[in-house]
Amino acid sequence: MSECDFMRENMPLLLTESLDPARRELTHQHIERCAACSDEWAGYRETWQFLGALPEVEVPAHVKTQFLANVEPPLRRLAPAESRRHVTRWLAQAAAVVLVASGAFYAGHRSKPIELKEQPASLNSYSIAESRVLPARLVSPNIEGRPDIENVSFVDSNPSDPDIGLSFDITSHVTVTGRPTDKSMVRLLRYVLENKNRAASPSRSRAIDWVRTLYSRPENAEPEIAEALANVLRNDSHEGVRIKAVETLNRMPGGASADTRGALIEALKSDPNPAVRIKAVEALANLAHSGATFDSATLDTLRQKAVQGDENVYVRVKAAEALSSIHP
Amino acid sequence: MIRSKTPALCAAIALLMSANAFAENLISTEKIEKLFPAESADSVWIDNPFGNIEVVGSDSPGLAITAIKTVTGPDRASLKDGSEQTVVSFEGDRNVRLIRTILPRVHNGPWTSSVSYTLRVPRTVHVKIASRIASRIRVANINGNVTVNMFSGAIILDGVAGASIINTTNGKVLYVYRQKPSTNAQIQAVNADIDVVVPPDANFNWIADTLRGDVVTNLPVRAEFLGSAFRGTVNAPGGPTIAMQTLLGNIRILGAGLDTRLVQSVRESVTEPPQRPVTMQSLLMRPAKRIQLPISGGPFDFSASIADVEVGEVRGWAHVQTAAGEIKLGIVYGDCTVTSNGGPLDLGDIMGTVMASTDAGDVLVRSARMGGKVSTAGGIIRVLYTGGPLTLQSGGGDITVRQAAGSINAETRSGDINLTADPLQRTQHIQAHTLQGNIILNVSPHFGAEIDATVLTSRPDANAIRSDFNGLTIKREQVGSKTRIHATGKLNGGGDRVELFAEEGDIHISNVATSPVTVMSPP
Repeated sequence: MSECDFMRENMPLLLTESLDPARRELTHQHIERCAACSDEWAGYRETWQFLGALPEVEVPAHVKTQFLANVEPPLRRLAPAESRRHVTRWLAQAAAVVLVASGAFYAGHRSKPIELKEQPASLNSYSIAESRVLPARLVSPNIEGRPDIENVSFVDSNPSDPDIGLSFDITSHVTVTGRPTDKSMVRLLRYVLENKNRAASPSRSRAIDWVRTLYSRPENAEPEIAEALANVLRNDSHEGVRIKAVETLNRMPGGASADTRGALIEALKSDPNPAVRIKAVEALANLAHSGATFDSATLDTLRQKAVQGDENVYVRVKAAEALSSIHP
Repeated sequence: MIRSKTPALCAAIALLMSANAFAENLISTEKIEKLFPAESADSVWIDNPFGNIEVVGSDSPGLAITAIKTVTGPDRASLKDGSEQTVVSFEGDRNVRLIRTILPRVHNGPWTSSVSYTLRVPRTVHVKIASRIASRIRVANINGNVTVNMFSGAIILDGVAGASIINTTNGKVLYVYRQKPSTNAQIQAVNADIDVVVPPDANFNWIADTLRGDVVTNLPVRAEFLGSAFRGTVNAPGGPTIAMQTLLGNIRILGAGLDTRLVQSVRESVTEPPQRPVTMQSLLMRPAKRIQLPISGGPFDFSASIADVEVGEVRGWAHVQTAAGEIKLGIVYGDCTVTSNGGPLDLGDIMGTVMASTDAGDVLVRSARMGGKVSTAGGIIRVLYTGGPLTLQSGGGDITVRQAAGSINAETRSGDINLTADPLQRTQHIQAHTLQGNIILNVSPHFGAEIDATVLTSRPDANAIRSDFNGLTIKREQVGSKTRIHATGKLNGGGDRVELFAEEGDIHISNVATSPVTVMSPP
């Protein structure tokens, strides 16, 4: 059983506050560092909240009568001394019914679309938005215009399966599924990352977290994603997002393209946030350690940074350390 | 039965030899000599990206140049190609004689090349050298001015009496004065060590600046530190100024013929005993250090200019202050005060109050049992648990508190704030403020609070206040070009005040049923 499977088994218990402290802490830590389990946990919580928000529906009279008819006769036959035990059993059975029902609801809700049957008009009405699942191979990789997409979320229901999902609201709720390297998936992610005017920053922030988890694997290396992150690093006004972008670039295989390096150099030169500059110089140092060759402009920038008296000392030291491992 | 290993051994040797033969490159050398007549130049400039350079001053007139071009390649065609594309050029006129190696801008082909130059020049000429990599550049017996720019390698100036400027990145600089210095010299490096040897009775002004290295001498000096720079006079006041700067290297100035065992660190001799508070200037005077300690048996008090500090356990209070470096403390049994002028902080289980600040870098605090204050001028702050009131400030970067059992005051200039209240807390005071970003507040279903949440946005359709709880009143109003969304109300009948402010972002008050993290007692 993988660590993720184990942690996911803990999630229902975590939800009901039934885990012992050590496992609870362990599960929390795992959720925090594993994007897939983090999404899974968010799903659990969402479902839990959804269940809590459902209106209480009166049990139909005939169901109630039939249920009591099945339960009452044995109860009546019991001696008084035994009845307490059977009442307990009845309660346990009732609880089990509730658990099974809610479990079935949960499983159905998570695994397939809810099918709505015609209901009498007097019952509470539910408003359910249209939702579509599209395989990435059926989606054109060319995004026309600047569509307004919101509520972006990421799905990786089965970490052992290479397929992933990207959900968002456009005119309806759409989930595009496919391999991380599918061109349409890459383009969509790129759009989400770069589109700071449309997708709200939490989406971009989460998108970068997700990209880091997914595309830092060598088999998923995608130059277009690195380019998108480089653009985020250059253009995004949100410092928290820029910090994440440069961190992710540092971890991405194949992040040594001229464009990426250019973005790192620009960030080191002029980003107002010292954390961005630190991470940029660390990324450049990593590139130097890995044997990347630097042009003279890059060397000049690093050298200027190292000797720049008004720069943060830590950034200067890191620039000097990067230079020490460069062999032009 | 004994089986002979000879055939296998022979095969292995043959394989190795053949592999070696395949791997071996061919080398070609070409010698180029050039002689310029007497009074040929006032200045000599040499531009040679790869290869050694030796310039020796002489009383003989004229300029004699010997260049040896070396090309390495896997085959004769590559050698020919490399040799043709590595051009030694002699240019200029009697004022400035330029000798340079011209290489193609884009290097194609499996060859490498370098050119070594040996020049005999009149002693009075000015010399200017540009190089990228060389084992050695040596300039000797020159009375004119000398300028050397290179990236990596050893630079030796021997008997240079004129003014000199040296710029290098990696390697080493050795400057030997045969006579008392009479002109200014400026040596600037990044990682290189700088050694200067002078006659023992030489007097001059000395400026030495190194961030991580040391400054040592065996000469009598009177000095003071201004930040990381040491300014002093050697022997007696007056004379030229010799300025040396290297970021990570050491600086040594030695008297010729004096006992080298008598060298002492200027930095350590000038350093004052620790005082509180230590200013940045006095901090930079302290030597750089690297500390790795599993356990500190008592309080841990440490300050250094540049230091990476890692201590597993401090059985007392901890006080760490550095000008730059990474600081990592595991368990601290008392109060913990960590101040860095740059570098990430990683703090573990802090039993007392934590006061942590850095001018640049991320901060991680695993457990702040008594609360405290955590700040960074730029970077992400993450706190896994706080048991007391905690103030968090970031000049730009996200702030996350995973479980807060005390009041929280979080503020970032740009970044998201994600706070989770301890589920056992029925109410607590929370303040969160971001000038660009989102706020997510996670509280238990029973959490009581008096909410005052504000979003100021230029995109009212995209940004909003969302609450999983009923009972909030939301108002919208136009403030200049922006929309102010203001939510007020009581959660679960009210409680402590919760003030949230997000500009250009969302606020989400989330109802979560999480379990509290149990903070274990130290063993």
